[in-house]
Amino acid sequence: MASEEKKEREPNFMQAHRGLNSWLYTLDHKRLGLLYLGTTMLFFLVGGIAAITLRTELLTPEGDLVSATTYNKLFTVHGAVMVFLVIIPSVPGALGNFLLPLMLGAKDVAFPRLNLLSYYIYSLGALFFIVTLFTGGLDTGWTFYTPYSTTTGTAVVTATAGAFILGFSSILTGLNFMVTIHKMRAPGMTWNRMPLFVWAIYATAVIQVLATPVLAITLLLLIVERTLGIGIFDPAMGGDPVLFQHFFWFYSHPAVYIMILPGFGIISELIAVHSRKHIFGYKAIALSSVAIAIISFLVWGHHMFVSGQSELAGIVFSFLTFAVAVPTAIKVFSWVATLYKGSIEFNTPMLYGLMFLFTFTIGGLTGVFLGTLSVDVHLHDTYFVVAHFHYVMMGGTIIAFIGGLHHWWPKMTGKMYDEGKAKWGALLVFIGFNMTFFNQFVMGQQGMPRRYYEYVPQYTQQHVLSTVGSYILTAGLFWTLIYLLQSLKDGKQASDNPWGGASLEWQTQSPPIEHNFHGQPVVDTDPYNFPEIDRSGAMDEH
Amino acid sequence: MSDKLFLHGKPIEGFEEVHEHISPVSSYMKVFGALLVLTALTYAVSYMNLGAASLAVAMFVAVIKATLVCMYFMHLKYDERYHVFVFLSTILFVGIFFTFTLFDLSSRDEINEEQDSFFQRQYAPEAGVSVPVYEVSEHGEGAEHAEGGEAKAEGH
Amino acid sequence: MSDHHPTRPGGSEPHAFLAHHFNTPGQQAGAAKLGMWAFLATEVLMFSGLFLAYFIIRMQYPEMVLGAHEYLNKTAGGINTVVLITSSVTMALAVRSAQVGDTPAIKRYLLMTIGFAFVFMVVKYFEYSAKIEHGMLPGKFYSAHEHGYDIPGLPHIFFAIYFCMTGLHGIHVLVGIGVLTWVYLRANKGHFGPSYYTPVENVGLYWHLVDLIWIFLFPLLYLVK
Repeated sequence: MASEEKKEREPNFMQAHRGLNSWLYTLDHKRLGLLYLGTTMLFFLVGGIAAITLRTELLTPEGDLVSATTYNKLFTVHGAVMVFLVIIPSVPGALGNFLLPLMLGAKDVAFPRLNLLSYYIYSLGALFFIVTLFTGGLDTGWTFYTPYSTTTGTAVVTATAGAFILGFSSILTGLNFMVTIHKMRAPGMTWNRMPLFVWAIYATAVIQVLATPVLAITLLLLIVERTLGIGIFDPAMGGDPVLFQHFFWFYSHPAVYIMILPGFGIISELIAVHSRKHIFGYKAIALSSVAIAIISFLVWGHHMFVSGQSELAGIVFSFLTFAVAVPTAIKVFSWVATLYKGSIEFNTPMLYGLMFLFTFTIGGLTGVFLGTLSVDVHLHDTYFVVAHFHYVMMGGTIIAFIGGLHHWWPKMTGKMYDEGKAKWGALLVFIGFNMTFFNQFVMGQQGMPRRYYEYVPQYTQQHVLSTVGSYILTAGLFWTLIYLLQSLKDGKQASDNPWGGASLEWQTQSPPIEHNFHGQPVVDTDPYNFPEIDRSGAMDEH
Repeated sequence: MSDKLFLHGKPIEGFEEVHEHISPVSSYMKVFGALLVLTALTYAVSYMNLGAASLAVAMFVAVIKATLVCMYFMHLKYDERYHVFVFLSTILFVGIFFTFTLFDLSSRDEINEEQDSFFQRQYAPEAGVSVPVYEVSEHGEGAEHAEGGEAKAEGH
Repeated sequence: MSDHHPTRPGGSEPHAFLAHHFNTPGQQAGAAKLGMWAFLATEVLMFSGLFLAYFIIRMQYPEMVLGAHEYLNKTAGGINTVVLITSSVTMALAVRSAQVGDTPAIKRYLLMTIGFAFVFMVVKYFEYSAKIEHGMLPGKFYSAHEHGYDIPGLPHIFFAIYFCMTGLHGIHVLVGIGVLTWVYLRANKGHFGPSYYTPVENVGLYWHLVDLIWIFLFPLLYLVK
């Protein structure tokens, strides 16, 4: 695919310039990707510490570790940090930034300065969140529902201002990627020759551009409501609190697809490359991303079934919610069909890919339960919702992210991690994750409400199981962090294309040079035509 | 990289090009005139008593004005089709946002009427349930003026 | 790509402002313009939240909105509408001057646009001061009844949405003045000509959008019965 075959090693993008300023003022999308990676992982740690504290509190039915208020603040920190600072920016910010121009055969994203600005806006928003933590915290939950958020004494204004600022970072990233995909594709790279990761990022960018501005105005109105008492959301002033939920979920429902779609993109790459088979249903997977992006705007009312929304609206939203299952199922079936008769390599990225198929399918299907109006009335605000959300966000996005990190680690760092250790890590993550969250479905279905810091003793066993699971999960994640960092120091040198991938990012050296490619790559085939099949006759249809 | 790119021996045409359109000054002036006339029209209509139709008329005129600005000042008429698509799909999503929210808010009171609850009363503030906003203290964050039954609104 | 007669392929001549990561000036201009349109989409959606809030308030409190909006100064609003429309024309002419390479005309039209923007803000200033003086303020700061204005219902909500909408729009006008000045300074250095005028064009698009929003704000807030 690459037009030139120069083989001498040029200094890679990390060696091209030296010193702190070369990182702080960098316009290189690859360096920005690494900056995002570092920052999101830092906040993953912050959100994780909050989560572990929550789980530890729930070991016993009594509230003995933290007070009720602290508990409320902790789950808010966990939710807000994980959603706004980790999941939303992680895949697009870290992997998207690093890979998008490489996959497109471009020298950089369309607006490198905007990209840097976006990173700094993200950091500023994060700073607001940190300020919130140290000025009394926030106890509204990550959704900032009125009227509680207009009356509580905690630091709502700094937190919402932080989320407002983070929204702009997300918008600018999405805008940048959208233009990059439109305008920066290498000659010959038609829309149907783009890697599916790029399609997923494109669908994500569309949602980021169309939905996030509504979050901005919602949070702005909330700040104004709180400071001036304008009477739009606050019932005491004549406003309508359910209106806030409409505004909020018009953004935040599509936002869960901002979080999961890039994960879908990663999985498409992992499954195709590591089963060494042309992806099944390329167009179906690509267009279902776009379909999910569009349908995601039609279903937000399913978060509001018991909010006082009109029942007629509830019925319509419930019906439309089922439509999301169709494109999502198309993807899952296509991935499974790709695996069929592929020469599957059970290496770490593939293990995470399979793990995703398992956990995400559970998360997705339980979403259908929750989208069913009558069932949701029973399950609303129970641990069933918590479990569903974590199966989609943690079992979906984060698992895909970790898998993607392993898949592109050789490209990003030029080093191979220890495959044996990585497999143990994957096993720990898988066991820990399912142990933590699977029985939360059961608990929720039995009536355990979410966000309670003490509970009736009948749930003790299940909570203990869940907490122990969360410890195993934590151990697995730290294990992963340790061997990845270790590989930087004494990992084997990675080859340019260790997995035999066919998309453009594997055609340049590992790590890539500053301007990505020697010359302009030209594309004349799609990125899943794997050149050579190593073994077995299972692939003879190609 | 200004030299041509080749694929399969053929130069790649139409890649990375934009076309521009220069409108004559007179066309800007015509649009300007039309916008002024339409503004005057909206202004005049507001003094007629059209009742419920006045919102529709005002919005109709505003949409015509907006279309003129988009097509001629923002060059959408001559621009790449994709920019038109971006703009129109934005309008579509605004439409989705408006439709569902207004649909909920307008169908909600039917059920509330059955239950004789909160939203019904908002339509008749003179019936003794007007929110006592004039007594709002500036420090209170709205906690102490939840009188007049409005507190019910918080519990669904 | 369109095939209109008065078009010519842009981006054929290289210019001094071609960034390293673009292959041709055409690619750069196209990217910048698409980016601007996507940005305008975000602006429209952001304002749509305020418009929706307005419509809902209107739906919930129809008499109050009709009563309160009579206190807005229709004439001031009308003058501002004409001012903004005129500034939109001068902006469009500034872009045209750049396309034909007439630098003095770019500067002239940009100055006129900036001037009109200031006129808009001055009118706004007088409107706002009158509202503040009469206590017609948003939310809990509303005190018009103390100044002898008895508006029935919950007018603090109407003035809240009035200040939110015109305030956010006003901020956009101020930002517009800023970017117009930046473009003027660059025009002054002779940066723009037929081969490169992307900043003028994009700032123009932004400015037209500010006009576009006002086209809807004006009848909704000031005029509608």
